[in-house]
Amino acid sequence: MKDFFRHNGILILIAAILLALVTAVVSMLLGGKANPLANLVGIITTPVRNGISAVTNWAEERYSDAFELEQMKEELEALKQENAELKAKEREYESAIQENKRLYNLLELTPKDKQFTKEAAMVTARTTSNWESTLTLSKGTNQGIAVDNCVVDEYWNLVGVVAEVGENWCTVRTLIDANVELGGQLVRTGGAAILEGDLALMEQGKLKLTYLPENSQLMSGDLVTTSGRGGIYPSGLVAGHVEEVRTDASGMTDYAVIVPETDLDNLQQVFVIKDFTIVE
Amino acid sequence: MTRRDFLIKWGVYALALLPVWFCEVYLLNRYPLFGVSPMLLPLAAVAVAVLEGTVAGAGFGLGVGILCDAVYFNPDGAMTVGLCLLGVGAGALAQYVLRQNLLGCLLCSLLALLCIDGARVLVWLIGGKAALPALLSLAGREIAWSMVFVFPVYALFLWVFRRVPKKTVL
Repeated sequence: MKDFFRHNGILILIAAILLALVTAVVSMLLGGKANPLANLVGIITTPVRNGISAVTNWAEERYSDAFELEQMKEELEALKQENAELKAKEREYESAIQENKRLYNLLELTPKDKQFTKEAAMVTARTTSNWESTLTLSKGTNQGIAVDNCVVDEYWNLVGVVAEVGENWCTVRTLIDANVELGGQLVRTGGAAILEGDLALMEQGKLKLTYLPENSQLMSGDLVTTSGRGGIYPSGLVAGHVEEVRTDASGMTDYAVIVPETDLDNLQQVFVIKDFTIVE
Repeated sequence: MTRRDFLIKWGVYALALLPVWFCEVYLLNRYPLFGVSPMLLPLAAVAVAVLEGTVAGAGFGLGVGILCDAVYFNPDGAMTVGLCLLGVGAGALAQYVLRQNLLGCLLCSLLALLCIDGARVLVWLIGGKAALPALLSLAGREIAWSMVFVFPVYALFLWVFRRVPKKTVL
């Protein structure tokens, strides 16, 4: 170890400690905005990420075309069936919508309204660490994206929440990340609960619904949306459906295992909700 | 060794780091095995420390640590100081206790990964965010899968080591 102390080793250690302190303090002060070094690396590597993402997406599509044709045919048949059923339901709902409109006019109520300002973005990279579930998107502060913006897929299924923003990139914590916690609502019963990530479930691509309403009779397949309580996140974004109800390790409380509606592994394009107005 | 030699040497090491970084950040994380993707950048810091010794290990560890804190999500500076210390530790172990070869690198890599994941498990436990079995399971699989990559990473940096000037003067 003499060599180490003789040849500036201690100076390197001091430099490391100082740099670590600077990184920690700057990251804390910026509160979700990327620190200058991370921002710079993000900007420089954006074209690389975009290129790799394009190539891998192309290769995966070719693979699907070549080897998953039969499966896709079966899925198409199932979707056709589902589409026919939904069209029949739509016809039934149309009269209910008209009746609803007439009643709104009759009672002079303000109709429900949802307005969103969205920004389309491409998924350019995925989680590097096994301890988090994140996605890197191709848009950042230059496009008006900010921390805590919600991210949805093309079907309005919740993907996650923006956690770190650089100039032309941002990192999204997906809804299965163990550090995510947001208000959820059961569509069938209307009960409010908390959507929470869990490390063990994260690996299986699932999350949990905790603080379940008392006497809630959950059923497998029950849809869960964001509750919008607190006003930070919009309400009505589909998070997932109930798979099963389990009792936690203490044996005192129950929680539901939620399967996200969005396909996190195969997302290519998403939409960041920059602003929203909801009239309930 | 002249300043020019010094710059060329560490420039080549930095270049050798690029494919490692590329594989970890853009390639292997897309295709996880047993639910995990490997950590390669810490292995690179350890491999260089084993081959070059404590001082160079600390310096290269510092550089890799800064890179980790720049590319990993939610940086807190822990990788900067952590990899620098692991570089010193791996360099000292290989120089004075073990040997500066593949076996030494395997043992140092295992210890380094145990330190990194041990620290993570502790942080998660203190935060009360997950149960110990789930944390140990994840850490175990991550370390096991990462250890497979010691061989190619060590081979890459050994190839570089044999082609650059040997004595480091800082």
